[in-house]
Amino acid sequence: MSNNIILQVKNISKRFGGLQATQDVSFDVKENEILSIIGPNGAGKSTLFNLITNFYTVDTGSVLFRGEEIVGLTPDQVCIKGITRTFQIARPFPGLSISDNILVALLPKSATVAAARDQVDEILKQVNLDKKANHMGSQLTTLERKRLELGKALATNPQILMLDEVMTGLKPKEMDEMMDLIRELQKSMTIVIVEHVMRVIMAISERVIVLDHGKKIAEGTPQEITSNPEVVSAYLGRGTGNAGDK
Amino acid sequence: MKLNKYLIISIILTLVLAIVGFVPIPVHIKHILILTLFYAYMGTAWNIMCGYAGRLSLGHSAFVAIGAYTTLILFRQIGLSPWLGMILGGVLAVGAMMLIAYPCFRFGLVGPYFTLASIAVMEIVQNLLTSMRGLTGGSLGLSLPYKATSLAAFQFDGKEPYYFIILLFWLIAVILVWKMERTRYYLEAIREDQDAAAALGISVNKNLIKAAIISAFMVGIGGAFYVQYFRYIDPASIGGFSIALNLALVAIIGGSGTIFGPTIGAAILIPLSEILRSSVGSHLPGLHLLVYGILLIITIIYLPRGVISIPGLIKARKEHKANLAMIDSGAAGGSGINE
Amino acid sequence: MSMHILLQIIVSGILLGGIYALISIGLNLIFGVIKIVNLAHGDFLMLGMYGTFFLFTLYKVNPYLSTLIIFPLFLVLGIVIFQLMIKPLLGKRETEVNTILASAGLGYVLQNLALMMWKSDFRAIETALTGKSIKIAGLMLSSTRLWAFVICVIVALVLYYILMKTKLGANIRAVSQDTDAATLMGINVNMIYTLTFAAGIGLVGIAGCIIMPIFNVYPTVGTYFNTLAFVIVVLGGLGSFTGALVGGLIIGLVETFAGVMASAELAQVFSLLLFLIILFVKPEGILGKAARV
Repeated sequence: MSNNIILQVKNISKRFGGLQATQDVSFDVKENEILSIIGPNGAGKSTLFNLITNFYTVDTGSVLFRGEEIVGLTPDQVCIKGITRTFQIARPFPGLSISDNILVALLPKSATVAAARDQVDEILKQVNLDKKANHMGSQLTTLERKRLELGKALATNPQILMLDEVMTGLKPKEMDEMMDLIRELQKSMTIVIVEHVMRVIMAISERVIVLDHGKKIAEGTPQEITSNPEVVSAYLGRGTGNAGDK
Repeated sequence: MKLNKYLIISIILTLVLAIVGFVPIPVHIKHILILTLFYAYMGTAWNIMCGYAGRLSLGHSAFVAIGAYTTLILFRQIGLSPWLGMILGGVLAVGAMMLIAYPCFRFGLVGPYFTLASIAVMEIVQNLLTSMRGLTGGSLGLSLPYKATSLAAFQFDGKEPYYFIILLFWLIAVILVWKMERTRYYLEAIREDQDAAAALGISVNKNLIKAAIISAFMVGIGGAFYVQYFRYIDPASIGGFSIALNLALVAIIGGSGTIFGPTIGAAILIPLSEILRSSVGSHLPGLHLLVYGILLIITIIYLPRGVISIPGLIKARKEHKANLAMIDSGAAGGSGINE
Repeated sequence: MSMHILLQIIVSGILLGGIYALISIGLNLIFGVIKIVNLAHGDFLMLGMYGTFFLFTLYKVNPYLSTLIIFPLFLVLGIVIFQLMIKPLLGKRETEVNTILASAGLGYVLQNLALMMWKSDFRAIETALTGKSIKIAGLMLSSTRLWAFVICVIVALVLYYILMKTKLGANIRAVSQDTDAATLMGINVNMIYTLTFAAGIGLVGIAGCIIMPIFNVYPTVGTYFNTLAFVIVVLGGLGSFTGALVGGLIIGLVETFAGVMASAELAQVFSLLLFLIILFVKPEGILGKAARV
């Protein structure tokens, strides 16, 4: 983890009707780190993802990527700049084949279609879907969908990869594989993950940010935040406690 | 490899069609060929926005009408060559398309709402054309003053020149779609899942508008061809639901979202309707349209990807049967399809 | 314009609006509950009109009484069409687009069957009420339109009662709001869909009977009414019961006024522009997330 700051989130807020989904959230992301964002259900984690990548527009605040303001860009422009997000519920293109799914993801940053085609196999191998290249996007198991989602994200050659609850629904062994993959990816990009599964957080995060009710309530290493009484009460107070899970 | 096979078939097909233009065949067969190529061309244009991008427009005849009337009126009033008039017609069609498409895409209208909007636009254009009697002749229509064969005036005695012109149009359309490979993929991704496409760096608005512009321009020019060939138009025929649905029909029955689907659809539907019309047309008017309707319903329910998907389906079925046979006979391993 | 003429126009517009509302109620039901677009709606209306025409011409059945024959007939027709054409398409990919296309095909089939069997001549019927008017409060009201309006009100009230006060109605409303939740509560969604579709067709059949004394019928008459029905349904708010009524009244008034001030075509253009604006600005969430991306 270098000390170079690649992303600065400054005082962003978002209101949906009567609900203040995100309130004055600020944090930095260091280049090549693995940063985790956690919080009880409804804390606003996915909203934060949507705000940073401009699927929702912030009401106030700014987001600086390598010093450049990205608020107000369209989601596709954010991806082109170098920040790619995955979706919590994987979204394959059902009517396209697996390899075409990857191809489409490669195209925006490839000079020619042929050049993009050449890279499809490599990505498929990376996420272990090479045997299913000709299957349709609609014919995948849940795990395969997640792999495809990740593959598409990798195809966009991101500088910051934002993974939204990528571990949900995986068996322990599959989680281990995913964690290994994430650590491998860390060598070439910065990774921000939203997660529920504490053992994953504890195992791979270098820093953790805790949200509750749309506000940032804690920031620090995994050890620091699990011993933070505010964090513990935010989880336990809801009765959905995951904090302290193994 | 697959690309080469298509390429060879296309070249052979084009040569055959070109030669046919020189062969002496009965006039009404020439007419059917011209009509088929016309709808193949129009269906291909429709397909760009509606098949690949999945924005189903059932009101495309609005743009056909704009192209046709622009060309005709400019020729009648100021003697402007239809070749220039059609360019202007195409541009105006694009303008009309932008008036409707831009807000649609901006406001995120999809699915049936978009379709309903397209139908509304078609009816608005149709009504406007009918009410502007002084300019357009209203519901009585407008005819093309025929002088003599003249390339500049886009008028010919015989059918051959029309045949070669529409053949050329069709060729250009197909080549254009073929070359638009990157855009085709983008449009398909947008059709499948717009947000996921944006998350991968694909600009939804830009690509949709691109597709809309190309589609409208081509269809507007097609309208100009229509008026030069048929020499008469009226709002109901050229701006009405039947042309709009025909464009959709040839693409969907042939195979929407493919390069040759609309062409195949046209090759099936147009000759079919002419055969029906000439054999029982007088006793049973509208039979060919009835058949179109039934074919559409059957295609939607049983063959959603169109006729062009039949070879693929047969192949998949053979593979499936082969797999079952392998499993039955106790062969080990199989092809690994069942994990 | 004098007050008297203004009132006359308003009353005519209201009567027309009631008729338009009756025509659209079936569409609203289908659109609102099953979330599909039936482009053949106008053509079913045409069928209903022809049915009434032949019942009157051949068997001297009063058009208003022929509803008793047409309604059950169209219910059955609706069930058949639903099973054969709609049900196979539900729940698959691109349901909305496919049902629109299939219904467009169906409309073509109906129109051209009518053309083949009954030719393209305009048909009309002359009942005891044709051409007569009633004078109420100094205003002239066309008898046929008044009757149509009355029947529309009756139908609307019956439908309202069923939807709001019966268990069936509650089930229908539940399905239109959230099919998953409805299933979990033990509602047979498929049966509700079938019933609703059949009812929608049945209602448009009734509308056909009622308007036969007022309008001419010919094979493609459905197209005009189809557009109208869609404009009304979207305008009034999809799936909103009162919406269809309100929408009908608005369009009835708009058309009557515009028809007086300008031409019939421009009246239509105006309604269509209104329709487009509503679509852009506030399409109402019946198709929920599918209405807007």
